[in-house]
Amino acid sequence: MKHIKYFVFAVTGVFFASCDADEFLNPLPDAAIVTESYFQSDDDVLSGIIGIYDAVQGVNENTESSSIRFNRGIQLEYLLTEHRSDNTRSKTLEGSRADFHRYIVEPDNIQSEDYYQSMYEIIFRANNVLAYIDNAEADNINAYTAEAKFLRAYAYFNLVRLYGPIPLVTAVVGPDEKETLFTRIELPIVYDQIIQDLLEGVEHLDNTHKSRASKAAAQGLLAKVYLSLPEPNYTAAAALCQAIIDSGEFSLQSNFRDVFYNELNSEIIFAVQFLSGNPEESQGFSSEFTSYKRQGRQDGLNIVNTNLAEVFNERGGNRTAASYAAFGSEALLAVPENAEVIKFLPDGSDISDRANPSYGPSPANAGNDWIILRYSDILLLHAEALMAGNDTTNNTAIDSYMAVRSRAGFTDRPSVLTQSELLNERRVELAFENHRFFDLLRFGVAHDVLGAHAEDMGYTSYNIRRLLLPMPAREVNLSEGLMTQNPQ
Amino acid sequence: MKTRMTKHNTRRSYLLLSAILLLSIGCEKAFEFELPEAGSLPDNNPPVAAFAYIPSAENFRTINFNNLSTESTNYVWDFGGGNTSTEKDPTYTFEAGEGAYPVSLTARDANQAENTITVDVNVVDRFVPLPVTIINGDFDGGQNDWKFSTFTGGTTSPFNASSDGSFTNYDGSDNGAKTKGAKWTKSTSAGVYLSSNTRYAYQAILVSPSIPNERTVRYILEYEYAIKTPAEQPGVASGGNRIISEVLGAHFADGADAVASTPVSQFVASEVKGKTSHTTVEQEFIANGTGEMAIMFYAVTDVDVYIDNVKVYAVE
Repeated sequence: MKHIKYFVFAVTGVFFASCDADEFLNPLPDAAIVTESYFQSDDDVLSGIIGIYDAVQGVNENTESSSIRFNRGIQLEYLLTEHRSDNTRSKTLEGSRADFHRYIVEPDNIQSEDYYQSMYEIIFRANNVLAYIDNAEADNINAYTAEAKFLRAYAYFNLVRLYGPIPLVTAVVGPDEKETLFTRIELPIVYDQIIQDLLEGVEHLDNTHKSRASKAAAQGLLAKVYLSLPEPNYTAAAALCQAIIDSGEFSLQSNFRDVFYNELNSEIIFAVQFLSGNPEESQGFSSEFTSYKRQGRQDGLNIVNTNLAEVFNERGGNRTAASYAAFGSEALLAVPENAEVIKFLPDGSDISDRANPSYGPSPANAGNDWIILRYSDILLLHAEALMAGNDTTNNTAIDSYMAVRSRAGFTDRPSVLTQSELLNERRVELAFENHRFFDLLRFGVAHDVLGAHAEDMGYTSYNIRRLLLPMPAREVNLSEGLMTQNPQ
Repeated sequence: MKTRMTKHNTRRSYLLLSAILLLSIGCEKAFEFELPEAGSLPDNNPPVAAFAYIPSAENFRTINFNNLSTESTNYVWDFGGGNTSTEKDPTYTFEAGEGAYPVSLTARDANQAENTITVDVNVVDRFVPLPVTIINGDFDGGQNDWKFSTFTGGTTSPFNASSDGSFTNYDGSDNGAKTKGAKWTKSTSAGVYLSSNTRYAYQAILVSPSIPNERTVRYILEYEYAIKTPAEQPGVASGGNRIISEVLGAHFADGADAVASTPVSQFVASEVKGKTSHTTVEQEFIANGTGEMAIMFYAVTDVDVYIDNVKVYAVE
């Protein structure tokens, strides 16, 4: 009996452990962080700032393969942006990654939830650093503050365009502060915060780094924010782009391919760096973009739609051969059905044999940087700002547009630059760099273009509500009624 | 120990089983078999009704509604006149045409909480005329796309191909040098020089038709022309050296029928400024009832005359 008692006790213990787990009953919302450490010296603060970039970078799926609650950072962003534009799609229809291009993303979509969580991870790490910023050396405080705020603004800008009104957390908060963590804040207030944060970057940062925040990165991002406002501030955006152009610190690469394979080149304003072959510092998306000879975990993601290939044929010029490629029996087709993105081929790739491409020693741990801002984007934004929503004969705007177009091999300077020409130019210049969806929103044609695209492709679930992603179910559930859902 | 265990074998199993059973029930009770209302939270997010609407491309009277309501699952639309719908995104046709129609949407959730919004839907006839693309309008493609398919008693050759066109590109930019154009000479002229060698440039176009008493659709035929000066080439045809541009009210397979028809609109271009010194003509015309129309050019001249950059577009 004595032994039986012990045994029963042991059984009970097991049950208590599994039923009573604090984590199970009181899970932390994505919007929360518990301050476990604080920063005591200048070095600590700096390492805290570098830690924010780690959140942007995210964890390679090939290193931690569980789909659930790993920060993938920007590594899944193409699903939420390119796949939801008319540019690309998933080759398979299985799994939650295949929901984006068909506009059937539900609140419990794992990748959408991961992205949401990843952006808040950036925000909370930034807030955490800002809370202890006074422990840095006095001379560095302004620059460190500006850098953390730049990254916070970057995350909020992504969130607000994808999810609409969102919780605005600008200080370290505990998991009990539900009002702050879950109350969705109206767009004008969120945009005001983003603008204030970026203005500090414009004022206090310099152009020392390309893989960290810089003055030009803050200027460029702020210009894009001004153009994305419900009532765009064209004048301010034009001035910011002009300032980057006038700085003389950036120039277009003469060879388009070098933009992607000559890392941190003259054209790059801000990029997230990855290291090839290193499980902790590499990215997984390069391998996911392969399909004919599959290197990734899925059948092929970011597969190029035929209507994009048609636009490339018309106005891609020398960019086409550096942007996508078709393999096997499709290799020679002018408009391939299943072309693959080749702007981010893993180190050591050789695709010259279109029947048997190779992808180097460690395609799953790719080191290709993720470019967030580059100079040709700024030139086209410059034209966009000067055009102020209209067609234009303004020579300065056309000069900026033609600078990008000339590099692609065109000499056909238009006397009138139209909105649709500019939008198409952005589409081919910045294809697969997660700009298209946001461009369509900014130009005010998202519903027209994507509605027609969905009809062409037979994506019957599309409707205008799909332009906003649903708020992640996990957050709505944890909010105890505070967080509202987007129209479904 | 082993002996003792065997002795109490039956009893031990029984006890163990009941212990597990008890604990299992305890755990399930905590998570599954709650009373319906126990621990549930009030729904503090009532429905908010909202919608947007877009007229269909085919018929301005037909409105596609987009439901933008939140926190709701059931919908009732009221379009007025007793017409309702319970679809989420209905389409409704306001047969009476232009006007403001109050449309109300009631959004309801499963607790029967509801919210209603009424919006005046403005139905307006925002007609957008069909754009017209002139094929080979800059004559860079030579005579292509300007020929009649047959020409009884005449030639289907439309004009003399020419490298003395306008300095202006089709998109309006300055080419910095001559572009290709179309040319007529004395031997290809009509009028006093009418012959089986007279050349007519012809292209069929499709425009938005005018509807009597409802809408008049106006288009402009635009082109540039040049006529050589007496200093460049002597001679004046009876009635003056000139180019005639016509808009025809139908499509024609045979050039002879087109020439015999009465044009909807005609313009006589006769300003003499010299080779490559072009004058722009904007010839306005009203679309006919079918939308099937054509443009035609010919010349009556002793000297070389030229046209270039032919365009047709709707009046703004």
